[in-house]
Amino acid sequence: MASVTLSDVKKSYGKAAVIHGIDVDIADGEFVVLVGPSGCGKSTLLHMLAGLETITDGTIAIGDDVVNDLEPKDRDIAMVFQNYALYPHMTVAANMGFSLEHRRVAKDTIAERVKWAAGILGLEPYLDRFPRQLSGGQRQRVAMGRAIVRDPKVFLFDEPLSNLDAKLRVVMRGEIKALHQRLKTTTVYVTHDQVEAMTMADKIVVLSGGRIEQVGAPLELYDRPANQFVAGFIGSPSMNFIPGQVGASGFEADGVTLPCPAGTPIGTKAIYGVRPEHFTLSPDGIKAEILIVEPMGSETQVTMKLGQTSVIGLFRERVAGMPGETIGITIDPAKTHLFDAVNGQRLG
Amino acid sequence: MTVAAPPSTRKARKRPFWTMERRDSLAGYLFIAPQMIGITIFVLIPLALVFWYSLHEWNVLAQTFRFQGLANYQTLLSDPGLPQVLGATTIFSIGLVIFNMSLALLLAVLLDQKLKGITLYRTLFFSPVVVSLVAWTIVWGFLLQNNGGINALLASVGIEGPNWLRHPTTAMISVIVVQVFKNVGLNMVLFLAALQGVPRELYEAARVDGTPAFRQFTRITLPMISPTVLLTSIITIVGSLQVFAQIAVLTQGGPGMSTTVLVYYLYQQAFQFHKFGYGATLSIVLFLIVAILTFVQWQMRRKLVFYED
Amino acid sequence: MKTDLSPRIKVIVYGLMTVLLIPFVFPTWWMVTSSVKPISDIFAFPPDIFPRRFDFSTYGRVFELQPFAQQYWNSAYIAALVTAGTMMFSSMAGYAFARIRFPFANTLFMIVLIGLLIPAEVTIVPLFQMFLGWGMINTHWPLVLIPIFGAPSVFATFVMRQFFIALPKELEEAARVDGLGRFKIFWTIALPLARPALGAVAIFTFLHSWNLYLEPIVFLSSPENFTLPQALTQFTDAYGGALWNVQLAAATMTALPVLIVFIIAQRQFVEGLAHSGLKG
Repeated sequence: MASVTLSDVKKSYGKAAVIHGIDVDIADGEFVVLVGPSGCGKSTLLHMLAGLETITDGTIAIGDDVVNDLEPKDRDIAMVFQNYALYPHMTVAANMGFSLEHRRVAKDTIAERVKWAAGILGLEPYLDRFPRQLSGGQRQRVAMGRAIVRDPKVFLFDEPLSNLDAKLRVVMRGEIKALHQRLKTTTVYVTHDQVEAMTMADKIVVLSGGRIEQVGAPLELYDRPANQFVAGFIGSPSMNFIPGQVGASGFEADGVTLPCPAGTPIGTKAIYGVRPEHFTLSPDGIKAEILIVEPMGSETQVTMKLGQTSVIGLFRERVAGMPGETIGITIDPAKTHLFDAVNGQRLG
Repeated sequence: MTVAAPPSTRKARKRPFWTMERRDSLAGYLFIAPQMIGITIFVLIPLALVFWYSLHEWNVLAQTFRFQGLANYQTLLSDPGLPQVLGATTIFSIGLVIFNMSLALLLAVLLDQKLKGITLYRTLFFSPVVVSLVAWTIVWGFLLQNNGGINALLASVGIEGPNWLRHPTTAMISVIVVQVFKNVGLNMVLFLAALQGVPRELYEAARVDGTPAFRQFTRITLPMISPTVLLTSIITIVGSLQVFAQIAVLTQGGPGMSTTVLVYYLYQQAFQFHKFGYGATLSIVLFLIVAILTFVQWQMRRKLVFYED
Repeated sequence: MKTDLSPRIKVIVYGLMTVLLIPFVFPTWWMVTSSVKPISDIFAFPPDIFPRRFDFSTYGRVFELQPFAQQYWNSAYIAALVTAGTMMFSSMAGYAFARIRFPFANTLFMIVLIGLLIPAEVTIVPLFQMFLGWGMINTHWPLVLIPIFGAPSVFATFVMRQFFIALPKELEEAARVDGLGRFKIFWTIALPLARPALGAVAIFTFLHSWNLYLEPIVFLSSPENFTLPQALTQFTDAYGGALWNVQLAAATMTALPVLIVFIIAQRQFVEGLAHSGLKG
């Protein structure tokens, strides 16, 4: 087990730079999720960490060793791929033991390790099967088994759950989390799914356009997003953004004034952010015109017009209104966010 | 959290010469080395030599080897045999590609039907592809004799067949037909794969719209498989330019020069009349035709890439 | 086109296919049956579709007139060498061009593709001169070396490259993480998975070599060195007329083994060719 340090890591293909200088420290045993929209460089970064992509500039260290020019096999890492990457012409047992075979490990030891890993993942009945004879979830487990057999310093996961259906994804999410808690191996996990990031990570790194937007614990990102990008990316449905400026009695948007925290100079042009779940129904509150009502059982999602801006609200209560009617809502100023209108950075 | 060492000290670290990129590049060069060396020796150098030889008068029997500039090319232009050879080559290639494509398409459409025993038919239609080329040609030569099997069959229904290989027109038809039946199975299989690659939903949509079967074929099937048809037709033409054994065995280029295609003429000039310099000049002509057709093929590939995958 | 056909159309389709089948199947049938007929019967009128009398002595004469066993062996081992060599070199090069990043890869690949433009027919004159200089005329070297490195192997390289490009990149990445170097990845992961493409390449290459005709008649001069296609045309009487029954017996022996192998393995054969050929 080991810590991982990325310092000023850059990657370019010819003249096109895709990673613009990334600094991340990952502590020993930490579960770090790299998250961002597709094309943000998260997968490239993981491949660079694995040694599957070369590093244009900067350094990557695992433990105390700089690994920039080490082959993947010499970095003592294990990786789980999106499409599992199981060798189709080998049995489950052979897939899992394959890496040990090439490290001149004794046959008995290999069998023992494979059995141990299969035990953890519930794969004992399938050891003699071929990957094509397994279900998606089972293949996913084999891919994980192949990684843990070697007891590497670091686990790397590259969108491991995106090929599974929604239900199985939740199950496997739990299993990966449990596996990490049991083995306590440093883990770097890449996903585009912010729910996965929120539920699994000790620490999230939000990436966009090859740059870090914010690093922090899941709730830190949720409560105090550093910029408009992170604010919009974390949380579902997304945070509502309303342009306007800070006034004497609140935030003045087009046709409505909204409560906002004190401390920002009056007259500042800004973007006002409020999450759908932070609206509260209240007959005396601010008036909003209902556009669409989508009951989901436990919650009701309402698209409504606040001033001239269309926003989404999420309520625990059932909302009885019809489109065209108005409802009253209130907002807790402590749960609102202000972002610079020009660069999107958090204000205050 | 661990604290990273100051980046400056790490930057100062010397990079080894054999970086991952360099090791991988070396592996790449080692992997392609055997083929690159082989192609250089057996394809590229000979090609350069063909150009060089074509500028020489070179008769193996007379043991002359003399630089004479473009004289061979002047000979080429005034060679009375050349128009006939190019004419025969054109008729052979065009006739072959038309007959081959239409038959392959017909067979593929028939084999695309859901019928019992269709695999057996496919196997049998394909079987000539794996029959030794010269063996196949010999049997046809036997069948096309004046007193051979074909005329015997025709006679049994009261038709007097011609002496197929002894008349210019029937000889040309014969070599085309023999070649088509030998290899049409390949194109048939490619077309069949293309037909089976047309999404079923398109036909279902057409049937819901009430499109009659023939229009389904002309408006859906043909456009969908047209890339395959175009590409295979050019591959077939290029292949037809290399047809040699069939001519050598069936007609020896005759009667007269009616079936003397370019490759056969080249072989005659170089290896029967021992005019290596002039043979090399004819090779250049062959090379140019193949190069132009292949270039056209690549251009088409680029344009048709929309349909692929 | 995949609708169930009405019975009437079914009959028409079967009938049409059966008639069309005649020129594909009858020559082979005629070759085999004529080779076992006495010479007096092979031009009989009306022709006998099934032989009435059998005469197997022509098969003996094949071996008397030519060193036919030797020639058979020549063709077989040359085709085997060409097939093995092509599979080896074209899969290596195809793999590198598909999977390894190295400087000038695209330029070098374009150079390889030039080989497609240059069938051996174009370069036969200088090739003859080169092999003459190396003292390899009337040996089998040209018949082995020219196909392994010429146009057919370029085509094979192209097919292999297309296949390896389609192979999931993650499999190799997994193998690299598992500790394999380039050569081991190629040998233990990529090559075993490339069996369909390799099969198609093997079939194409084998048939190409087995059918080679121009090269043998240019390079070989003594009967014990001949290959089968060349030998088949040598069964003539003193006046150069064909000894049809002997020739057909030799042709039958040349054609039948490959045909039988094909019929046994026809599914892999046809489908392998269709899928790899399309991409080529």
